[in-house]
Amino acid sequence: MSQILKVQWIISILWPGFLVAGAATIVTFTVFDPVEISACIGGPDISRTGWYSVGFFLFWFMSALSSLLTCYFQQPCQVVQGTQDPE
Amino acid sequence: MSDVTAQKKRRAPEPEPADEVQQSLYAKREKIYPREVHGTFAALRVLAMVVLLGLYYGVPWLRWEGRQAVLFDLPARKFFIFDWVFWPQDFFYLALLLMIAALSLFFFTAVAGRLWCGYACPQTVWTEIFMWVERKIEGDRPQQMKLDKLPWNSEKVLKKGSKHVILLLFSLYTGFTFVGYFTPIDELGARMFSFDLGPWETFWVIFYGLATYGNAGWMREQVCIYMCPYARFQSAMFDKDTLVISYDEARGEPRGKRKRTADRQGLGLGDCIDCTLCVQVCPTGIDIRKGLQYQCIGCAACVDVCDDVMDKMGYDRGLVRYTTENGLKGRPAHPLRPRILVYATLLLAMTAGLIYAISQRIPLELDVIRDRTGLYRETSEGLVENVYNLKVINMDEREHVYRLSASGLPEMEFINRKGELTVAAGEVYNLPVRIRIDPIHLTRSTNEITFHIEATDAPELAREATSRFIGPVD
Repeated sequence: MSQILKVQWIISILWPGFLVAGAATIVTFTVFDPVEISACIGGPDISRTGWYSVGFFLFWFMSALSSLLTCYFQQPCQVVQGTQDPE
Repeated sequence: MSDVTAQKKRRAPEPEPADEVQQSLYAKREKIYPREVHGTFAALRVLAMVVLLGLYYGVPWLRWEGRQAVLFDLPARKFFIFDWVFWPQDFFYLALLLMIAALSLFFFTAVAGRLWCGYACPQTVWTEIFMWVERKIEGDRPQQMKLDKLPWNSEKVLKKGSKHVILLLFSLYTGFTFVGYFTPIDELGARMFSFDLGPWETFWVIFYGLATYGNAGWMREQVCIYMCPYARFQSAMFDKDTLVISYDEARGEPRGKRKRTADRQGLGLGDCIDCTLCVQVCPTGIDIRKGLQYQCIGCAACVDVCDDVMDKMGYDRGLVRYTTENGLKGRPAHPLRPRILVYATLLLAMTAGLIYAISQRIPLELDVIRDRTGLYRETSEGLVENVYNLKVINMDEREHVYRLSASGLPEMEFINRKGELTVAAGEVYNLPVRIRIDPIHLTRSTNEITFHIEATDAPELAREATSRFIGPVD
């Protein structure tokens, strides 16, 4: 982990999320019309472009969260446990 | 395996010497100042840049039958592409198109390596134009390096400041064009200049603009190295007959500096004069003489610059050239290998499939939903009645008159139905329909029936949808 710098950490958390969020937004809003759903459940009155944008960032947040956890769990166990490095 | 070995195994592998460029990039990014290059491939790259950027900035302004020719109208949930109008129901075509795009990438990569990266990738294209602006303001590589070493004096502030202002404005215009693919661009332009953009439009213009500025202005080769998924897996599509940019080691080594008039055989030198120009022109900062590296985006800048040097030295061109692994080793080439044939066949089949599917596309949709309030109703005359909600979507760009009928059971009687229904272009028409039938015709409690709809002026515009007719059976 020490060899991987912050910039790559940030990229590997935000960037996969961005790609996945793009795909998820296209698929989701092709199938569901957010304005219709919002009208059905009495949600807020936002334009379609607004819903698409909100949806995109929500997907991005969720998938970035997943990437963050992946990065977190990738750390070697001994670092997490705070034991001494064998070398 | 002992605990210590296991722990060692789990640790990240130690860096290998071959990875030193990457390691240095991980450690601290060294700014790359690619030297300007002229030559055949540079000209091709400029041509690709002009064509692609011309398309990107020009296409939204094209008009077609009184509307924007290419408009992905997200608010209206319709995509306009010249004569075609696609609805969310047409997602299949988009999926097929994306599969064709992916397959073309595989095909071209197998044939000619990273053509996409070197000539067509937006990252390359925008970086290219950004570097052009940079060179116009700051000069070529040596001047840029000198400028960066200078303390912040008025010249540096002026040059750096004007460069970033120009790049930012250009990026914002890029963002504006991007939004113009989703909102009618002429109207968007008018509203932008009267500062009347909606909040989301403003947001996306700025977001996309800043993304362009960041990626092409600051990140540059790091996008290819760290962010591009294709760069990581493209080696899977390479084989020994894939066109790659390669240094002819057998010819070039041992490298060494010499006078132009020197006798290289006498000195025991190869053709490489170790001028390092190939390294200086590389936009990703690698040394092509170290062999094929995944950072190489195949832009061929090193080919052009080395050919120039070879000309000056009076040596043959092509010390660095487009070649194949087999070609370098003097083995025969296999242009028609199974991988290529499989990719080409799939690509042709899918493209033909898409063209056929679009040509056969019927711009009409019929959905039937049975009314859920009750299974059936018995009228005072003893007839059985079912209620359906029909949704007729006219996806054509013209108004049509449609004739509705049903089949599956004898003597079905439509109640409250107009004989024909007129649906405007792009309209979603909701039509509740009641059907009555004499129960003597019902042999089962659930019977399949089919609704038919057909345009009176165009019989090829026809759709069917099935549903069930439910009744009592003694």
